[in-house]
Amino acid sequence: MGDGLIRFEGVWKKFRRGERHDSLRDLIPALGRALLRRQPEGDLGRQEFWALQDVSFVVEPGEALGIIGPNGAGKSTVLKILIRLLRPTHGRALLRGRVGSLIEIGGSLHPDLTGRENIFLQGSIMGMRRAEIARRFDEIVEFSGLGDFIDTPVKRFSSGMHARLGFSVAAHLETDVLIIDEVLAVGDAAFQRKAFDRMKEMVSRGVPAVIVSHQLERIASLCNSAILLVQGRVACQGAPAECIGAYARQQSAPAATEEPADGLRLDAIALAAAQPVPSGGRIEVVVSGEAPPAREGLRHIVGVRVRSLQTGEVVFATGTLSHRLDLPAGPFELAVELQMNVPPGIYAVETTSGPWRRDRDGRSGPATLVHVDGGQGFWGPVQLNCAMRVAPRGTGEKPRA
Amino acid sequence: MTIPPPLRQDPPRPPAIVALRDDLREMFQELVQYRELLLTMTRRDLLLRYKQTIMGFGWSILMPVTYMIVFSLIFTRVVKLETDVPYPIYAYAGLLPWNFFASSLRFAVGSLTANSTLVTKVYFPREILPFSVVLVSLVDFAVGALVLAGLMAWYGVAVHWTVLLLPVVVLVQILFTAGVTLLLAMGNLFFRDVKYLLEILITLWMFATSVVYPVERIGGRLGELLALNPMTPIIEAYRAILLHGTLPAAGPFAWAAAVSVVLLAVSWLAFHRAEFRFAESI
Repeated sequence: MGDGLIRFEGVWKKFRRGERHDSLRDLIPALGRALLRRQPEGDLGRQEFWALQDVSFVVEPGEALGIIGPNGAGKSTVLKILIRLLRPTHGRALLRGRVGSLIEIGGSLHPDLTGRENIFLQGSIMGMRRAEIARRFDEIVEFSGLGDFIDTPVKRFSSGMHARLGFSVAAHLETDVLIIDEVLAVGDAAFQRKAFDRMKEMVSRGVPAVIVSHQLERIASLCNSAILLVQGRVACQGAPAECIGAYARQQSAPAATEEPADGLRLDAIALAAAQPVPSGGRIEVVVSGEAPPAREGLRHIVGVRVRSLQTGEVVFATGTLSHRLDLPAGPFELAVELQMNVPPGIYAVETTSGPWRRDRDGRSGPATLVHVDGGQGFWGPVQLNCAMRVAPRGTGEKPRA
Repeated sequence: MTIPPPLRQDPPRPPAIVALRDDLREMFQELVQYRELLLTMTRRDLLLRYKQTIMGFGWSILMPVTYMIVFSLIFTRVVKLETDVPYPIYAYAGLLPWNFFASSLRFAVGSLTANSTLVTKVYFPREILPFSVVLVSLVDFAVGALVLAGLMAWYGVAVHWTVLLLPVVVLVQILFTAGVTLLLAMGNLFFRDVKYLLEILITLWMFATSVVYPVERIGGRLGELLALNPMTPIIEAYRAILLHGTLPAAGPFAWAAAVSVVLLAVSWLAFHRAEFRFAESI
């Protein structure tokens, strides 16, 4: 273990909309067309489109790459090319070592076989030896938490049990390379945490991993690099925070790239705080931009929003108008101080510009990510800066911390 | 939306001979790596049949036995057919290997499409699916052979030393069957018509083979054409070594063996090269 490698070199993948000819009846006209008009590989036919365009990355041992993006962006296509289910139209996909793929796990379970029989079946499909499965059998059952249900046919399982069994087999595969698709959302909260810890452990042991997930928070804490795919193109490649920020922006307001009519421009956002910030700690972000000369009846406004990446919700929003600030004409720097009275997690600090209305966001500006960690343990949606004191009763002593 | 053409040049294609060598090496490595999966899949199919049917392995002998009874009635009561062993045993010795061949084809044709969840979700050498069907049918064949042994005892057919050649004949039949199943499974994945064509093909093929009557007695142009069918020498080889105690006819059997090896090699290579399109086309 430890010499796995994942490499994607300038990969393009072409797909076809609609149905292919599936019976001989459709083949003959299709062949006729193909003979009459030869089409170079680089061109697109009428029904074709690029599912991936020039995607490249390398994942070395001990690294984890997160792939994020909206539905249909090509994330799963990347994974399917990696595990050799699909072949790229152009470019190369290289994968060295034994592959553990957790893609729609549970898909290979047979409904009429028992949990026990399925563990052996799925293990062999993933390339495990029978002896190896037998050796780790108890561990797998223990991890799945299925207990006495292990000799029940899988068709009688609940969907949660089904997914847990699938994950447990895959998680005990001794692999050199890990490919994970959306499996962080398997089972209940307790199992999800267990599954997540298991993956983290595998990555820390030096197994290179590629992970697709919509749970941005998980990507941020598991991966050390990320790719944002939008319509098959790499929209952002680099640190997870950068790509998640780009994604959050893109999700909240589809890029408004045209020159703003009111002339206000936001250029950058900088965070002045050591990460992670303890819950309840203070941070300062500095937004730099350029404002046009003031005009009668028009105020230029910069808005600030804090979005939880766990829920995708905006947990806090304010703006220069509420703080009775006027922006000076010309280049400016706006310092925003926030006390992160929020539970641990990853938050995006986003900026907006333009006329503010309660029911509508302004134009999206630059954003940054803030990791907030536990500090003192607490639970719940807000940080109430709790203090506790205790003292024995009836001694006249005051409760002390 | 205009889409730019690919920016990078793909690496040049390797010459055909290098590609062939690489493919063969890959096929071999995969077979070694996944050898246990083949057995697990075979076990899965046998297990499922046991769980889901009351008759279980009874089904493996029902078909050849039924056919044997029907053809015995036809060729002993309606038309008298001269055979050098009692007709029922002549017929059963042909029907048993034929059933091995035909049921392999019948189940293999849909083996990829029936397992579409596996084919689109997990990577493993897809030839495992048709191959495990052949192994399942081989188990049926072994069970059905017990009936043949019973018949031989009943009719007092002596067992000769030539029975030791049985593994060779079975091996040739497995190679030929495997080659045909690869083509069928792959064909049916791209064109679902193959499954329907197959039923007609199996019926025609059975009567073009010495299963229930000696097809060698057909002469002329048709006879010459039918002599090319590798299934006839294979089935005749079973009769020779089991019933007559003679060696299989050298020329025809060598032809069948050569066809089997070449067919399997060619169809396996074709299957391997088409494999990456399966997940997209299924």
